[in-house]
Amino acid sequence: MDITILYGTETGNAEMLSEDLQSHLEGSHEVEVSNLAEFDPDGFDKARFYIVICSTYGDGELPASAQPFAEAMDARKPDLAGIHFAIFGMGDSEYDETFNHGSKRMEELLTAHGATRVGERLTHDASGEDLPEDLATDWADQRVAEAEPLLSAASDA
Amino acid sequence: MTVQIAIVGAGPSGCYLAQALGKLRDDIHIDLIDRLPVPYGLVRYGVAPDHQGTKGVVRQFARLFEKQGVGFVGNLRIGDPEHDADLTLAELREFYDVVVLATGLSADRKLGIPGEELDGIFRAGFLTRHWNDHPDEAGRIPGLGRNVVIVGNGNVAIDILRILAKTPHEFEGSDLADTHTQRLSEAGLQTIDIVGRSPADAARFDPVMIRELGKLSATRFVVEDLPPAEDGEDKRLAALRELGEAGASDADKTVTFRFGWVPERATGADGTVSEAHFHKAGGGEELVIACDTLITAIGFDDDRAMDREALLSRAVDAEAGAVEPGLYLAGWFKRGPRGTIPENRADAQELAKRIAADLEAHPPAGDRPGATAIRARFDTVTDYEGWLRIDEAETADVPDGRCRRKLTLVEDMLAAAGAKRETR
Repeated sequence: MDITILYGTETGNAEMLSEDLQSHLEGSHEVEVSNLAEFDPDGFDKARFYIVICSTYGDGELPASAQPFAEAMDARKPDLAGIHFAIFGMGDSEYDETFNHGSKRMEELLTAHGATRVGERLTHDASGEDLPEDLATDWADQRVAEAEPLLSAASDA
Repeated sequence: MTVQIAIVGAGPSGCYLAQALGKLRDDIHIDLIDRLPVPYGLVRYGVAPDHQGTKGVVRQFARLFEKQGVGFVGNLRIGDPEHDADLTLAELREFYDVVVLATGLSADRKLGIPGEELDGIFRAGFLTRHWNDHPDEAGRIPGLGRNVVIVGNGNVAIDILRILAKTPHEFEGSDLADTHTQRLSEAGLQTIDIVGRSPADAARFDPVMIRELGKLSATRFVVEDLPPAEDGEDKRLAALRELGEAGASDADKTVTFRFGWVPERATGADGTVSEAHFHKAGGGEELVIACDTLITAIGFDDDRAMDREALLSRAVDAEAGAVEPGLYLAGWFKRGPRGTIPENRADAQELAKRIAADLEAHPPAGDRPGATAIRARFDTVTDYEGWLRIDEAETADVPDGRCRRKLTLVEDMLAAAGAKRETR
């Protein structure tokens, strides 16, 4: 399957996780990684599966690298019908009122434009016990397995 | 040909710069040099011990050494021999094609008011380093009293407040040493007044830092000097208003926020602070708060270990951090004490582009010895393997509810770093 990993990062942790996931998935798939800051909202492709990794910053806001993407989405309002994505959030429960709000906003932004989420959004807690890559690899394998029939059904149609 | 690059200061700015440079060019070798035997600077010694999530950024930096071939040269001080430096900047530049100074600004800014030198007055950077077991400050025990005044309205002031106000069980998961928890609880703290010069809507802390305070178990909050509530007001004002209504009814501590008061003088009895005096910004009204501890958290300054002013004044492009091709300044050492860790990441990425462009324009001969010359001259420097052994010593056998027990003496760090080498 052709996969694009998109990351929104502020301190670089989501970028590092994206690179880890790329190495993990690369053996069996074609995987590209892109910073959301450099991704054109008109560039979504129904034939690819999107894995979005997004942190939270400030007062529950999108991280810096996702903000220009969100602005471009608002301005251009692309039709994302037929686009499938999974989303992994990174947050810190020390700030419990805004915990993982960045990935929540990103999910809402994509679904509001018609994209379909595959599986549940997984939220990682930097103050918890698990390392993000330990959670994300199994999660991504499951999402990819779920996405495969959806994407091939779409290409047959 | 390999371009040898030394980054002095293995804190977040130095690490982000190494990361960004590594992505731009693959014909370079980078060494991160630190005066301590351990890397990560501010992340290890400046970020509050109960914010381990923020400290998680070191996992990225570890990749530099583990996967990206960056070297670590610890326990080597660069600068003026008057400041006990091992190597001058000029000598270091002989060893490397490019030298970047990313040593930060570690001195606490002074208030500049009468009485500032009284006993019982502490500066925030000192306290943060002390609670983080920085070897420079670990042995200086601050005697904290029951009635504390904090001057300052930034995130550092809030960090200090939160650590003072927490009960011992609220440090679960942190790396705050038991000795600190014990001293904090023995101080029997009753009141904290946190006083800022600016009005509440111009305070510098982030709203999330204020909301986090609302979780404290044994603390009641009072917020003075707030303007009347308005719809759609600043998030800090909303967070403060909410905090003023929260707080435990059985609290044994009271935290009072005050805004718009200019510190004027500290007065004392027997050489120890007993009162903090303020006047209303733009008015004549006076405020006197009785206290036995006064903490200033009003920003940071150069520690003068390197001649920063001279470097900035002769820079061909001070804003970019370029002193001249081959010599650069990064992070707070370049930009002054402003901006968070991620802001300095963006800055490091810009500087990396500048260095890469200068390397294109002035290709070095590529014949510099780099760390080989340093290691030949000093048998006291440590490496990344040494740090891993220190890390292992600090994370083995930790007390319940803690994630690390830091070594507080450089000698102990060096012993841990070298331990296996001697028995090999």
